[in-house]
Amino acid sequence: MRELFWAMMKEEWRLHATMFGSISFALFPVLIGAITFMGSLMLPLIGDIIPGQTLSFLVHAQFLLLGVMVGGFGLLGQEVMNRRFGQASLLAYSSRTLPLSDRTIFAVFVVKDTVYYVILWVLPVIAGITLAAPWSGLSLPFIGTLALTLTLSFLTGLAAVFLLSTLYARSMLLLAGVLAGGVLLSTLLLAATTFDPVLFFPPYALSRSFTLPLLLYSLTVIAVPFALAILFMTTEFPGREKHIPDRFSPLAGRLRRLHSGPMVAKDLLDLRRSGGLIGQTLFSFALPLALIWVTLVVLARVLPDARLLITFAGVAGIIGATIYTWVTEFDAIASYTFLPLGTRDLIRSKVTTFLLLQPLTLLAVLAGAIASGEYGSLLPAVVLALSVSVYAASVMVWLTGLWPAVMVYDVRVLAASMILIGPVLLGLIGLASISVLYAFGSALLLVPAYLLLRWSYRRWETWEKAFY
Amino acid sequence: MAAVISASGLSRHYGELKAVDQVSLEVEEGSLFGLLGPNGSGKTTMIRMLTGQVRPTSGSAHVLGIDVVANSVQVRQQIGIIPEQETPPSFLTAEEYLAFVGSIRKIPAVQEKADWWFDFLEFSDKRDVLCKDLSRGTRQKLMFAQAFLHRPVLALIDEPLINFDPVMQKTVKGYLKEYVRDGGTIFLSTHILEIAEEICSDVAIIHKGRLVHTGPVAGILGQQQHLADFFLEAVGKGSHA
Repeated sequence: MRELFWAMMKEEWRLHATMFGSISFALFPVLIGAITFMGSLMLPLIGDIIPGQTLSFLVHAQFLLLGVMVGGFGLLGQEVMNRRFGQASLLAYSSRTLPLSDRTIFAVFVVKDTVYYVILWVLPVIAGITLAAPWSGLSLPFIGTLALTLTLSFLTGLAAVFLLSTLYARSMLLLAGVLAGGVLLSTLLLAATTFDPVLFFPPYALSRSFTLPLLLYSLTVIAVPFALAILFMTTEFPGREKHIPDRFSPLAGRLRRLHSGPMVAKDLLDLRRSGGLIGQTLFSFALPLALIWVTLVVLARVLPDARLLITFAGVAGIIGATIYTWVTEFDAIASYTFLPLGTRDLIRSKVTTFLLLQPLTLLAVLAGAIASGEYGSLLPAVVLALSVSVYAASVMVWLTGLWPAVMVYDVRVLAASMILIGPVLLGLIGLASISVLYAFGSALLLVPAYLLLRWSYRRWETWEKAFY
Repeated sequence: MAAVISASGLSRHYGELKAVDQVSLEVEEGSLFGLLGPNGSGKTTMIRMLTGQVRPTSGSAHVLGIDVVANSVQVRQQIGIIPEQETPPSFLTAEEYLAFVGSIRKIPAVQEKADWWFDFLEFSDKRDVLCKDLSRGTRQKLMFAQAFLHRPVLALIDEPLINFDPVMQKTVKGYLKEYVRDGGTIFLSTHILEIAEEICSDVAIIHKGRLVHTGPVAGILGQQQHLADFFLEAVGKGSHA
C-alpha cells in the first residue's frame, strides 16, 4: 500500500513535470505562496473594508471551491473513470495485473490526491500567510487553526465531488435522487428547526468557534463521503455491446458549413456519449458558479455598491472559458496524428466546439439575473460574460495549446494567464460598477482574442509534444 | 522504378538516446518493403518521421516526392498509415469512425467503401458498436480499413497483423500482396520475421537506431535458409556472433 501510494505520487508528479520540466512545475507552489504572501500583507487595508468574518468565509469558500474543482477535474463521468481505471496506462489500472482490488487502489488514489493537492495548493497558501504574519497582525495560533480549517474546507469539496462522481458513475438517477434529497432535507432543516446555516459548511463553523464536537462534525462530513465513494466506486461499467445508429453523419452534415464540421461533430458526440457534458456541466461549471454566487451575495452585503450580476457575469466568463478544457480533456490527440490534420486544425476544431457550448455561460448569467432580479443589467452582463469567456479561452489556447488541463500547473503559464486575464477582468468589473454600459466595451476583447488564436496556430504547429 | 520514399541521413535523438541514427534508404514504387528490427530498435520512430508525426533531429525525407518535414499534412493526405499503438476514438461506432475518416480525407462514396471493408474483414456485425466496446482484433481491423479506405498509392503500416488470428492474418497478407500487384507500395514495420519472409520483396534491418542491412529478400534467402538466421546474424545474436 505504501509503495503504491509513493508510486502514484511519483506518477502524478511525472505526469505534470514531463510536460514542462521539473523546475517549472516545482515553482508552482512557490508562486502560490508568493501570491498569498502579498495578499496577506494587504490584510490590514482590506480589513477596513471587509469584516474579518466575511473575509474568513470567502477564503474558506475558495478552498471548498478548490477541492470541488480538483476533485471534479479528475473524476468526472464514465469516460474519465475509464481512462483513470481502464484504458489509461496509470497505476490505477494495475488491479488487473497486480493482486490488489479496485477498491484498494481507489482508496490509495483518494489518499494520494488528497496529499498531493494539499502539498501543491494548501501548504503554500498557509506558508504565505505565515510568512506575512509579522505585518498582517495574524497570530500564529490563529494561523494554525486556519491551516486546519482551510485544509478541511479543501477536503470537504474533494470528498463531496468524489461521492457525487461515484454516484454519477453508478447511475444518473441515483445522483439526481441524492441531490434532490439533500436540497429537500436542507430546506426542511432551515424551515422547521433552529438549525444554524453556518453548520452547512463545518470547516467555516469550526474556524468561528473551535470546539471538539465541531471538529468531529467536520471530520465526519469529510470521512463519510470519502468512505461511501470508496465503498460504492465502480470500474465495472456495462460491458454489453450497445448497437447505436449512425449519429455522426447527420450531425457532421448539419455542421458542414463549419471549417472543422466533422471534428466538431465528433467532439460533441464524445462529450455526450462519455457523460462528460452532463458531468462537467454539473461539477466543473454549475457547482463552482453556485459557490461563487453565494460568495458574491455575501460580499455584496458589505460592499453595497458592488453590482452583483455584472461581477457574477465577469467571473462566469472565466468559468465559461474552462469549457475549452472539457473539449480537450476528453480527447486523445494521438488518435489524429495519422490523419491529414495539423495542430492548427485540431485547435481550430476545439475552439469551434468551445464556442458552440457557450450557451451554457449565457444560461449561467440568465440564472444570475433571475436570482438577483437585476434584469436591467442582463444584456451588458451577457456581453461581458461571453467576451471574457472567449478572451480567457484564447489566452488559454495561446498559453497551453491543446493541453490546458495539464499545463495550468506550469508556473510560467499560470503567471502569464493571471497577468493577461486578472487586470482585464478587474478593470471591466470596476468600470461596469460605475456604469453598466461600460460592460459593452468588453466586446473589444474579441480583437485580442482573435489575434491570440491566430498566433496560437503558428505557435503550436511547431511544438513537438503536440502529438503525444 | 521511381523511389516513393527517400530518406537521407535521417536521425532522431531524445537527449543522449539515438533512437534513429543517420539512416538513409530508398523504397521503390510497387515494392512491399519490410523494416525489421528488434524491440526498441527505432522502427516506430522511423515510421513516425516518414509520416511527419515526429520531426527528425537531422537529415531529410521525401515521401511521394513531398518533403515530409515541410509538408507533413500533405504527405498524410496522400498515404495510408496504421500506427503501432493508437486505437480508434472510444465514443464513435466503427461505422461512424470510417465516416469520420472519410470526411477528413474527403473520400467520395465513403459509405460504399466502408461497406466493402466491413464485408472483407468480416466485422459487419460490429459496425454499429462503439469502438471502446470492440475487441482488440476488431479495433485492428478498423485501423486497417481506415488506412486503405482512400486507396492510397503508399501505405506505411506498423505491426499491422499483430492482433489478428491466423485466418485474418491470411486474409490481410493476401490483400497486401494484391495491393502491391495492383501498383501500390507498402512500407511494413514488423519484428515477425515469418511474415516478412513470406510477403516482403525487400527488407531493411535496423538495430540500435542504425541501418545494418538493406536489400531484396530473394538475395538473403539465396544465401541462408531463413530470413530469421540472417536477421540474428545482422543484429549480432546469430550462432556465429
